[in-house]
Amino acid sequence: MPSSGRRSRHKSGRSLSRRRALTALLFVAPQVFGLVAFTAVPLVASLVYSFTHWDLVAPSPTFVGMDNWEALFTDDRVPTVLWNTVRFILVGTSTFLVFSLVAALLTFTPRRMVGLYRAAMFLPYVLSQIAVGVVWRWMFNSQSGPVTNIVELITGQSPDWLLDPATAMPSIAMVVTWQTIGYGMTLYIAALQGVPVSLLEASTIDGANRWQRFRHVTVPMISPTIFFLAVTSLIGAFQLFDPVVAMTGASVGSAGPASAGGPSNSTRTIVLYMYNQMFNYNERVSGLGYAAAIAWLLAILIFLVTVVQFIAGSRWVHYEGVSLSRGRRRTRGRR
Amino acid sequence: MANKRERLATVSYHSLMIVLTFAYIFPALWAVSMSLRTNENMFSASQLIPHPVTLEHYARLFEALPDLWRYFANTLVIAILGTAGTLFSSSLAGYALARFRFPGRGLLLITMLITLMVPVHATLIPQYVIFRELGWLNSPLPIIVPMLFGTPFATFFFRQYFLTLPAELEDAAAIDGAGPWRTFFTVMTPLSGPAHLALGLLTFVSLWNSYFVNSIYLARQDSWVLTQALQSMISRYQAQYGAIMAGVTLVSLPVLIAYLFFQRRIVHGISMTGLAN
Repeated sequence: MPSSGRRSRHKSGRSLSRRRALTALLFVAPQVFGLVAFTAVPLVASLVYSFTHWDLVAPSPTFVGMDNWEALFTDDRVPTVLWNTVRFILVGTSTFLVFSLVAALLTFTPRRMVGLYRAAMFLPYVLSQIAVGVVWRWMFNSQSGPVTNIVELITGQSPDWLLDPATAMPSIAMVVTWQTIGYGMTLYIAALQGVPVSLLEASTIDGANRWQRFRHVTVPMISPTIFFLAVTSLIGAFQLFDPVVAMTGASVGSAGPASAGGPSNSTRTIVLYMYNQMFNYNERVSGLGYAAAIAWLLAILIFLVTVVQFIAGSRWVHYEGVSLSRGRRRTRGRR
Repeated sequence: MANKRERLATVSYHSLMIVLTFAYIFPALWAVSMSLRTNENMFSASQLIPHPVTLEHYARLFEALPDLWRYFANTLVIAILGTAGTLFSSSLAGYALARFRFPGRGLLLITMLITLMVPVHATLIPQYVIFRELGWLNSPLPIIVPMLFGTPFATFFFRQYFLTLPAELEDAAAIDGAGPWRTFFTVMTPLSGPAHLALGLLTFVSLWNSYFVNSIYLARQDSWVLTQALQSMISRYQAQYGAIMAGVTLVSLPVLIAYLFFQRRIVHGISMTGLAN
């Protein structure tokens, strides 16, 4: 930003700066077109569709007023899919935030071999969620899956993991955590390396023990990263789809997304339900219109949760401290 | 004495970390191992390093899914064209947002920020209708074309990168008589090689791994990508774990190789995304 001001100082003259602005508009033209054509217009169109019924067989959608939106509040599957998402968040997001911090604390000090440990921990993150899901589906297999065997060896008895409605969603959450720890760890490492040693030393002189240093110096200093990870992982959690399809898709017949979500709907997520309705034209309230309403509900929920997080975040996220980055980080916190 | 204690601490740290990381990547190792075992040894706990090694599951995979190469090609086309388009359009926009002052600049930045929060699902249905109207279903176009115009995430990434480059270079190019286009393509683009590489890898990997959007647009089997083929193996092979794990290994191999070669770039790119946001 400062450079743009500087540039116009270099070259005075109205027509020149106008030409520069025109050039800039050409530079951003593809991105602007993309935003309008593939985000803004479809977002509004989606809202319009949510007031219609369309099964794609009829030549065009029929206007049905508030039917789809009313259905959102009377359809008893909606509370189920929302509750499933909450269950996923309770297990998944909390374990992700904690375990990736633990992984970062174990590996943030540069020393021998540490690069290898980090590389291993990051590896699952580059794999596809489908591949990971398929492997873990086997790990959880109730007859000979390694996880089942190990737990049985220790406790004498193992839950049915993906086959039991009580444990299926937490199991999926643990797998997603397993896959994403490397990502959280990477961001935490960058944050931990930014904690000034002088601050830690000062608190040691003041008589703080290890835990107190961690709690009162390290955590506040890395709180912007905790906050960022909490916001982005929650946004991601609301959109859970691929792992559910990989881990709960039927093992007979078609294994496609339509067969996933079991046992007893305990892993059916908002997005999976939207998918179901998008290609389901058998009910009065179904099809593209109802799917559009579900998608909008999802967008609204994400927006509300993010806003609440930003409000709550302003209480516990510390952007001051590192004076150099203060200005920039402040604006980041306000968004 | 202190020295001894230090050494003990080092040894226990490394023992702990070796056990932890091994346990951590065990599922990945186990999957590769299963794909190379004979059927008799499939469920043997002592077969982490398979002996004898067999490739029969890979052979069976290609027999049962003769179109596997096709899925591979479909995935590659989407990943390469999508990545190239994103890099081109987003680096242009990111550069302009970092260096130029123009009307609507603030609005564009805010719109992109809000867009980061909008789930793809909320724009999916109208897009589906349009692409269906255009006859693009079962082709890679619905996935590639939107990416040709850049993504807000990538644009932010490039903007952040260009902000770190000194403006003197462009001033020098301007003195030499280069206009903004030439400056961008001959000076700034070569200079932003690290950003292109990091973001290119991230975009490529995420396209290679993506499933949801593909499962919407690519319903006909000959238009599938690899993740869809892999998903279908669950029921196709039921209890034939050797073949399933061979599929998992094959699909993961290209990104694993990319990860081994560019590990630092990818991880650095990831930590930059944290800052950029």
